[in-house]
Amino acid sequence: MKFYTKQILSLILFSMISFAQPVETEHVEAELISEVSSIRAGTPFWVALRLDHEEEWHTYWRNDGDAGLATKIEWNLPEGFEAGEIHWPYPKKIIISGLANYGYENEVLLLAEITPPEKLPENEIKIEATAKWLVCRVDCIPGSADLEMTLPVKNNIPKVNNEWTTKFANAREKLPITSTGWNFEASLNDTIVTLHIQRPEWSNQKFNEVVFFPYETGIFINAGIQNFSTIKSGLYTLEIPLDRLRIKDPEILKGILISEKGWCGEGSEKSMEFNVPVGMKSSMTQIPASNNDGLILALVFAFVGGIILNLMPCVLPVLSIKILGFVQQAGKDKTKIIKHGGAFTAGVLFSFWILAGLLLVLRAGGEQLGWGFQLQSPTFIVILSIFLFLFALSLFGVFEIGTSLSSLGSKVEKGNGNGSAFLSGVAATVLATPCTAPFMGSALGFAITQPPFVTMSIFTSLAIGMAFPYLLLSIFPQWLKFLPKPGNWMESLKQFMGFLLIATIIWLAWVLSIQAGADALIILFSILLFSAIAAWIYGRWGNVAKSGRTRLIALVISLAILLPSAIWGLNLINQIPQYTSSNSSSSAGLNWQKFSPEIVNKLRNEGKHVFVDFTAAWCLTCKVNEKVALDTEEVINKFDELNVAAVKADWTNRDDAITEALAEYGRNSVPLYVLYNADSSVEPKFLPEILTPGIVIEALENLN
Amino acid sequence: MLNIKNMSAVILLLAFSAVLFAQKAEIDKTAPGFTLKDSNGKEHSLSDFKGKYVVLEWINFECPFVKKHYNSKNMQNLQKEYTGKDVVWLAVCSSAPGKQGNFDNAEINERLKDHDANLTAYLIDESGDVGRAYGAKTTPHMYVINPEGTLLYAGGIDSIPSADIDDIEDATNYVSAALDAAMGGKEIATKVSKPYGCSVKY
Repeated sequence: MKFYTKQILSLILFSMISFAQPVETEHVEAELISEVSSIRAGTPFWVALRLDHEEEWHTYWRNDGDAGLATKIEWNLPEGFEAGEIHWPYPKKIIISGLANYGYENEVLLLAEITPPEKLPENEIKIEATAKWLVCRVDCIPGSADLEMTLPVKNNIPKVNNEWTTKFANAREKLPITSTGWNFEASLNDTIVTLHIQRPEWSNQKFNEVVFFPYETGIFINAGIQNFSTIKSGLYTLEIPLDRLRIKDPEILKGILISEKGWCGEGSEKSMEFNVPVGMKSSMTQIPASNNDGLILALVFAFVGGIILNLMPCVLPVLSIKILGFVQQAGKDKTKIIKHGGAFTAGVLFSFWILAGLLLVLRAGGEQLGWGFQLQSPTFIVILSIFLFLFALSLFGVFEIGTSLSSLGSKVEKGNGNGSAFLSGVAATVLATPCTAPFMGSALGFAITQPPFVTMSIFTSLAIGMAFPYLLLSIFPQWLKFLPKPGNWMESLKQFMGFLLIATIIWLAWVLSIQAGADALIILFSILLFSAIAAWIYGRWGNVAKSGRTRLIALVISLAILLPSAIWGLNLINQIPQYTSSNSSSSAGLNWQKFSPEIVNKLRNEGKHVFVDFTAAWCLTCKVNEKVALDTEEVINKFDELNVAAVKADWTNRDDAITEALAEYGRNSVPLYVLYNADSSVEPKFLPEILTPGIVIEALENLN
Repeated sequence: MLNIKNMSAVILLLAFSAVLFAQKAEIDKTAPGFTLKDSNGKEHSLSDFKGKYVVLEWINFECPFVKKHYNSKNMQNLQKEYTGKDVVWLAVCSSAPGKQGNFDNAEINERLKDHDANLTAYLIDESGDVGRAYGAKTTPHMYVINPEGTLLYAGGIDSIPSADIDDIEDATNYVSAALDAAMGGKEIATKVSKPYGCSVKY
């Protein structure tokens, strides 16, 4: 009999606990809630102390302000469990008869992350906590509650508890974002701390009201007026009055800044965490002196990056063309070869300058741009495809290039191929742009944020680096003797090179198909068909064997076929709406999620490490990395094992959020691989731009 | 319409509070002078106590933090100890009429008797002027003034901000530390601390 009573009693007790009943206290309802409905060994999860206040009553933030007490949670967890600190949503400034408190009204969730031990039997665990607070209206009442909840332990991935999803999401929205990319400077005078706030490059948001909520208490006049003013576009000051009876002078200004306009655009997070040492004088109002060391380093990196560019997959076809060029030159005299080398260098330089100029002009126009941006435009891809296709046809012998393009013709013939050397320099550059060699990313990232002359210098350095091996070969042609002697094989090689170009066109067609779909492909191939016809006509009747009149007519007819078909096709393609980038996230292996800064924060808050793959369909390096490293079974298993979320930022089409995210890391090109630790206090790690399964696995293992 | 009204109210309030907090009290400077009536109708001026250490204790008997230190006898014991050493101990109540902690003289005296308080005087500052001059934010909020009239200490009564009586034992009492150091001719370690408690009901 006694035995049964005990069982029934525990049953009743148990059913109460598993629903985690809220505890009613004076003016506050308190409850412990969990974001997940079950937990798994080793997988951190989020819980919250939910406080629901009676109307007019409030409890306090981590800094209570002039009076009050911050809410405390004392955890009583099962063996091996660990609870993190409270993550505080930003508070409201509550002013009562001239005294200001930082607190919460209505409902608030104070979040905390709990990490279970690595080994747990499938059972149920009980999480207990004692919450203590001070609840005030005008009068104050200290309150406390012993809270508990039980959660089942299961072996599968924890499922979200739908009951609380929205509340957790709302609470997270109110957690401060980090101030990456923002610059702060604080100076102290007798009664005021002046905070200079500088907006990051990527933001063009205007701010007209910003309030500082300090983490440290007893230093500032909480109810005091903080003057916010705009010095110039993107540079602001906030004056925070100091309490005469302060505990100490602030050494480090720590806290959150609240802007009713979101920090990352309208409707985004309103709270941003920052900390900055307080100095005596401010220098931010002056233009910071440019850092020479940084510039020299960037120039060196750009130069080395330029050399390495030659080895990148997308330059390979052009590389072969250039090698062919040198084979042809090998027999000629020295000065001519040097001239060729010079012309090639000039071609590379010229196109880099054009690109840099374009970048500067567009940047000035406020465009969100990045390296490889040309390939985000279907128009560019189509034109490049036509160019390469005609080049290939010429290599196949359908028509002769040197004697054709009449506008360039005279120069090309007269300069004994200097013109074509120049053009191949241009071609090499155009093709190289989507491939970012390891060094180039950072050099360009540096360049894009610099004044125009620095940007130009970096692009110049990059160009010289890229042309360097060829310049070297043309100055020391004796080194060319290692290349085979000219002969009939050259014609065969030349024709074979054509296939490499065709392969490149296949890649471009694939990029286009991702951007604009299958219809665009048909249009592209139609244009190529017309281009082929035009090339054939020109080759058949426009060659040197025909009379001048025939040649002219052939040229006119082929242009009359080529140009209208290209224009017509481009028009059609541009009418096709561009696909959203999610459509291109097609790799099967990892469970990719579409990138947004919010999802990264959300996943991290859920206790997951996050791997972000900044990629694009037109980035061959990225695709190679995905194939050889990311989509391998061992890597996929590792992701699963360590509970790392995979997020793909697909930059195939222009996407401002991704451009901004890249800019945050000082980059404007892909690939970029960022590994965020679930623990937000750990700085994100970058993986190299060329991945192997080993590199990825090692990085993942180093997370814990 | 309502919004504009609300907004101007907020702006007014902010402007007002800025004026309010043009406080004068500063550490190591002369403490602001005042003249206030006590709960027996007798007037006291700070200048009357030149030559003696003076403790100011902001008070509101209804506040749980004041209760913490009175129900535990912590405050009374301090008062007893230091008034015994010729220190002047003044409680100041800045609760506005109708607000919490504002009582008539009879009620005050009864409560003082119930609590067995050892005050020199319980001063009534209904206008809140003295409280604002001292920047008093909470009850309790403690101030120590030396015989020359210089403010030596401002802040909380001790180092553990809570409403729990149990915490008193573990806390460092800043008021006695300041008084002991000053009387012994030593440097005061903590001259300012964050006061904790209920807000002063101006």
